[in-house]
Amino acid sequence: MANPAANRATLPITTPLIEARAVRKTYSFGAVPVEVLTGADLSVQPGEWVAVLGSSGSGKSTLMHLLGGLDRPDINGGEILFDGKPISVTHGKRLDGYRNRDIGFVFQFYHLLPELSVFENAMLPGMVGNWMTGHSARRATARESAGALLESFGLGHRLAHRPGQLSGGERQRVAIARALVNSPRVLLADEPTGNLDTVTGAGILDLLAERHAKGLTLVIVTHDPAVAAHADRIVKLDNGRVQ
Amino acid sequence: MYASLLSNRYLTSRLIPLIAVAAVALCVALVVTVVSVMTGFLDMLKSSGRLIVGDVIISSGIGGMPYYDEFIGELKSLPDIAGATPLIDTIGLLRMPYPRGDQKEIAQVQVWAVDPISLATVTDYANDLYWRPAANDAAAQAMADDDPRKHIDAAILRDGQTLTQSATGTPGICLGMHVSVGNARQKDGSYLPRYGWFMPGQNVTLTVVPISSQGKIAEPREQIFPVVNEVQTGIYEVDRNRIYIPLTEGQRLLRLDEAPVFDLSAEPDASGRYPIVAQAPARVTKILVRAKPGISANEVREQVDRAYAAFSLRINQDRREHKRQAAMPDFVNILTWEQQLRDLIAPVEKEREMMRVLFSLIYFVCGGLILSIFWSIVIEKTRDIGILRSIGASRFGVMWIFLRYGLVIGVLGSGLGVVLAWLIVRNINVIHQAIGSDAPPAIWIGSFVLTGICAACLVVYAWKGKLLPILLWLLGTVVLAAIATALMLHHGTLIWDPSVYYFTMVPDQVDWFTAWTTAVGGVIFSVIGAAIPASKAADIDPVEALRYG
Repeated sequence: MANPAANRATLPITTPLIEARAVRKTYSFGAVPVEVLTGADLSVQPGEWVAVLGSSGSGKSTLMHLLGGLDRPDINGGEILFDGKPISVTHGKRLDGYRNRDIGFVFQFYHLLPELSVFENAMLPGMVGNWMTGHSARRATARESAGALLESFGLGHRLAHRPGQLSGGERQRVAIARALVNSPRVLLADEPTGNLDTVTGAGILDLLAERHAKGLTLVIVTHDPAVAAHADRIVKLDNGRVQ
Repeated sequence: MYASLLSNRYLTSRLIPLIAVAAVALCVALVVTVVSVMTGFLDMLKSSGRLIVGDVIISSGIGGMPYYDEFIGELKSLPDIAGATPLIDTIGLLRMPYPRGDQKEIAQVQVWAVDPISLATVTDYANDLYWRPAANDAAAQAMADDDPRKHIDAAILRDGQTLTQSATGTPGICLGMHVSVGNARQKDGSYLPRYGWFMPGQNVTLTVVPISSQGKIAEPREQIFPVVNEVQTGIYEVDRNRIYIPLTEGQRLLRLDEAPVFDLSAEPDASGRYPIVAQAPARVTKILVRAKPGISANEVREQVDRAYAAFSLRINQDRREHKRQAAMPDFVNILTWEQQLRDLIAPVEKEREMMRVLFSLIYFVCGGLILSIFWSIVIEKTRDIGILRSIGASRFGVMWIFLRYGLVIGVLGSGLGVVLAWLIVRNINVIHQAIGSDAPPAIWIGSFVLTGICAACLVVYAWKGKLLPILLWLLGTVVLAAIATALMLHHGTLIWDPSVYYFTMVPDQVDWFTAWTTAVGGVIFSVIGAAIPASKAADIDPVEALRYG
């Protein structure tokens, strides 16, 4: 397991890799608007592991979706920056490319495609993209990368299996391999151990720590302080703000 | 690439898309089969029509055309004309030899007085003669014992070709195959005598009414003819009404033959007769013209038109100079066979186009089916769409998954539909024959055995208490029992009744133009059907999609 204290001590102060500035997000449930984020600020340095800790309904997942470009803040509701550039005003292909190349998502319920094999699921992000921009070369790289990741995660013998034939821990490892296949700079994980038993969950955290040790920036949202404790830094989300 | 991977997996990992493929295939097969049969019917009608009347028909009024032999000679000298034949076309009454007793049946007939030798060069008359001896001993052995063709004399064919009863030298008559009730059509298209009335050798009495060029009706004239053969053109309307007699007999009966011209200004002789000064030429009411191969009927029609104009000008000039006894009629109709048979062909063409339009509505069924199936698939796959968006798939990429899915279903379904239609159309006469025959006992007994197996499975699942298998096995048992019973009680149904459809055989050629256009239509409507759910998929909010399910 990585040593969070040691990592914290060695982090240089640089431009944040990913940043949320005074982000507000409101959902409408029928006629009733519910403000989930009320001005959340978060700054994550390159190579940092940040845990966002919060209770259920505190807006953790919403913050993660906003950081990952799946959702947008309210109008005039702050901004999300990646490498110093705002992504919340980015549209179309650039935003798709951001999600494909710069970000990797890991979800609580794995979210693997049941029709595809383990290997196909893992290399799926490598198959997504614009063929006009050297996509085929990237696909070949993704194929190699997916094989190597699954092998290193102990799933080399499961490549042709379908997700339905795997255990929960194996599925989550496939999901992590998928998130890493395009070598993203940030991995966003939403309760990655939330659906696993303690031992399996610990294995997943070890795996994440291992990637973090190799320089991967991690943002994990969780309600579990034990999971958050693995991070370099813990921030709490309460009443729609980062405390 | 991910779009093709996913759409292929969606296609092969579930049953519903296969049902969609089957539905598209059935829709396409239905349209192609129906329109192919109708197109084949139309083609048969057209080719038969051409073989019956030649390429171009010259028709005059009731007074007829004189000097037809001379004109036909000129026509034959034209480079694009293979042959021409004179003809008198009128109506008459035919007194049949049946039933026994004094009260004989009278049939109204279309009388064609023809020169059978030249008619055979313009039409398919010689080949249409039905009664002919078996080609060889093996063919004779294959015929049923009560088939007259097994025993008939070789002279019957020659008699038909010359319209003369060779045994007596008497002018003969050929009847259309369905003029007499004595010919019973068998399921294989052959004929056997009914009620003992084999017509060749029987005598019939033909009555015609001569009409003068002023339109006055003269005394009806009748003549007894021995039936020398019968003609099957394949067009029921023709075979039901038409009879053939020698041209000279027709001219004589209708007073269109060569006749003396008397000098009424001279003194009659002792017997009261005026002196004969000339012979008025014989006449015909029609001339049929055949084009050489590769020459269109329209080209020949124009040539005939010009030839007739020149010929009539010359004859009429001679007439004014008293060199000829008769003038050519000023107005004749010169039509191609298609124009002549327009009243027969046009309704069928319209019917075919109407069928094409009506059956094209089936495209909407295809599109609606794909739409409803894809709509449910998109809802089922909402979470997958969210996952794809989270890894960077674009909205168009998501849309393309489902469009491609629809495209594959359309292509597979349409392709299968064309193959299915080809199999049905090519074997349609075998199928028709099977429907028209008793079901073989092995088939309906086998169906009852399958029904029993289904019923046994039903009992097993009823014991287990599973509702879906119970319903499916119950359905299978009922359907199979109904099929087995229907097969057992089936004693043959003649669907393609020649009295309705003119021809004895169902057309069995695929209309490839219709096949490909229908297949392309099937693909287009499948993609259109998929486009709406695909757009919905592309519009799904990824965050909502990830929360789904």
